[in-house]
Amino acid sequence: MVSNVTQIFRQRALQLGCALAVVAFTAGAAQAATMEAGIKSFKPFIVDHIGKAIAGAKELQTAVKAGDVKAAQAAWIKSRKGWEAMETVTGTYFGDIDKEVDAWPDAKKGYHAIEVVLFKAGKTDGLEAPVAEMLGHLDTFQKRAKSKAFDLTAQKLLEGTANLAYEVGEEKSKGGESPYAGTSIIDMQENVESIEMAYKLVFSDTLKKKEPKLATIIDDRISKLEKLVKVADIKSMEQKKVYVAGEELAALLLTAAPKLGLKPFKVGDEEEGADKPK
Amino acid sequence: MRSRQVLTTVALSFVLAAAAASSVGATPVVSKDAALPVGSNLNEEILDQPTERFGFEAAGGKRSYLFNLGDMLFSSAAIFGGKARDAGMSCNSCHQQGAGNAKLFVPGLSSRPGNFDTTGALFNAKADNGVFDPVTPPSLRGAKYLAPYGHDGRFASLRDFVRNVIVNEFAGPEPSGQVLDALETYIREIAFLPNPKLGPGGRLTREASDAARRGEVLFNKPFPHDPSMSCAGCHQADSAFIDHKVHDIGSGGWFKTKTLINARFNAPYFHDGRFDSFDEVVGYFDKHYDLGLAAQDRADLVAYLDAVGDAEQPYTRNTVQAEVDEIAAFVSVLDVAIPARDKEVIGLTVDSVGGEWRELGENFPGRTDTSVSGGLQERLQARAAVRDLVLSLRRVAMAVEGDDFDQAARIYADYKKQTVAAAASLKLAETWSLFNPVVHDAHFLALKQLADLAK
Repeated sequence: MVSNVTQIFRQRALQLGCALAVVAFTAGAAQAATMEAGIKSFKPFIVDHIGKAIAGAKELQTAVKAGDVKAAQAAWIKSRKGWEAMETVTGTYFGDIDKEVDAWPDAKKGYHAIEVVLFKAGKTDGLEAPVAEMLGHLDTFQKRAKSKAFDLTAQKLLEGTANLAYEVGEEKSKGGESPYAGTSIIDMQENVESIEMAYKLVFSDTLKKKEPKLATIIDDRISKLEKLVKVADIKSMEQKKVYVAGEELAALLLTAAPKLGLKPFKVGDEEEGADKPK
Repeated sequence: MRSRQVLTTVALSFVLAAAAASSVGATPVVSKDAALPVGSNLNEEILDQPTERFGFEAAGGKRSYLFNLGDMLFSSAAIFGGKARDAGMSCNSCHQQGAGNAKLFVPGLSSRPGNFDTTGALFNAKADNGVFDPVTPPSLRGAKYLAPYGHDGRFASLRDFVRNVIVNEFAGPEPSGQVLDALETYIREIAFLPNPKLGPGGRLTREASDAARRGEVLFNKPFPHDPSMSCAGCHQADSAFIDHKVHDIGSGGWFKTKTLINARFNAPYFHDGRFDSFDEVVGYFDKHYDLGLAAQDRADLVAYLDAVGDAEQPYTRNTVQAEVDEIAAFVSVLDVAIPARDKEVIGLTVDSVGGEWRELGENFPGRTDTSVSGGLQERLQARAAVRDLVLSLRRVAMAVEGDDFDQAARIYADYKKQTVAAAASLKLAETWSLFNPVVHDAHFLALKQLADLAK
């Protein structure tokens, strides 16, 4: 996780070198320019992770064909990690694909229908079709993420980030998002990475200039969340601290919106239109 | 126009389905990552909930601050510790709406659905007595009349009993005086449900059947081999059908006499829930005390127990409005706690009520729940409204943490305004929520189908 963050920060520093020279002229433009530059840096993070989700799904396909349960389980986890790291944008921009790939409860399609068979039944039987279908949806996701038409905005990204912070704190008492695989903690770690990347690449610098105190508190909550989910499994996690940190972070990001020149919003206020391909 | 037609159709099916009980039950724990062992079932997702009546209602009174606080804490995992808190368990998990929980099951702690070893190691290693001795969570209806407390009557005081549950059974922190006061106040108000078959002094009324009336005579008749004994000797009709004593009736120890009022809805019976029906209970006493009951006598005694144990409207269909009203009552403690700068109550309320809103929000399936069709926009708005309220409460806690009680009061005032709009959003989406038996069954059937893939 750390190496990814460092790598993208390096790329970003190079991009910002040019951006800062331009934004030094006017304060008003500086805010937009910085967040726009951040958005440009964040898009590769998404493209990178959909690539990982696809690579894992392809390995899964091969393992399923070979009837190799262990390899299939490892590939499922690999693919799932890529998917979970994109959750800051899936609900807002890829809702139509989200409901196919991450359907719950659904015994016919998506990660979880595959998960039960692989991890609980310990089989690969009957998985060829759902894996192929899921791979098709992931391919579509990748095409759209790479397309120029993928109009990622700071507004929508902040909404997705705050929403994910809230969801990280959602009740995990029954086993979390991947209950059959027992890998929900990995989902959470990837979610937190997604939050951290979105915030630090796109919003952090602008907020530091506008509201340094608030920026410091948000930094603190993200670090806190990161530490809390750095455990072996969700049973070892301090659940209360996680939901409090998640709620606090979501609430702080709501407060940050107007300071960043963005519109106030409600967490999870997704529109039905998010279901339609953009 | 189209959406209105869909709404009408779904609403109609909601009304029709509401008449029938939901056929798909709650799903047990499936994950090794869960706080409770795989196979555990807290029977949480029920639509028809045990009806709750309170003493102050009959007296024409209203909910008090302490009662509201107690009601909230009764449903809150925040007072427990360890696994119980992680599992989101509360007093209400075992005593649903103040009644029992016939389906409660925790592998390793239960010998059958409806019982639970409260002195096992799972929830508190310190409380482990080294014996597998599961007991039923009793109904708390009429609890203020039913001392002593605990199946073996080991606590004379309800307050001591509650403290033991929190600290020893469920590894919670030592509760403050006001927490215990509130829980005791709430439990003392949980009343027996009205029963038109039962009159003053615990005598049957004309509403009872002839068989029940014959059973009443038998119930008071001395035992043939020991005339000093009768059923009514312990289950004293004019004293809530108890004698406040423990007895050895051959069931494995000394256990207190249980009330028979509303007991039709308290199965399974005996301290460990070994019997599912009154027929089995009467059969046991017949054999153990050599009563020599004829088949008709046994049937009449069962009819009597059914009559005494009956209740008017024992179950109530849960609705969005009921949930919203309950949460409003819970959160109202902040009206007092914020001006009083009571950090303990504010913290407990934010955690407990936030948890209640989150649970309520989960009744509105999100986009990825493919078992539900229609009303997506309404469902998403309902979910967003709930999240907004959770975060407002969190902001109250954050303000209080910074000792800014004025800011907390302002945020709380806004929260109260938000709840009006949120309630409207939730009601608008109710048709497509798990409060609709059709949607409820489709959702839980999909969960079951998913779990079945494991086979």
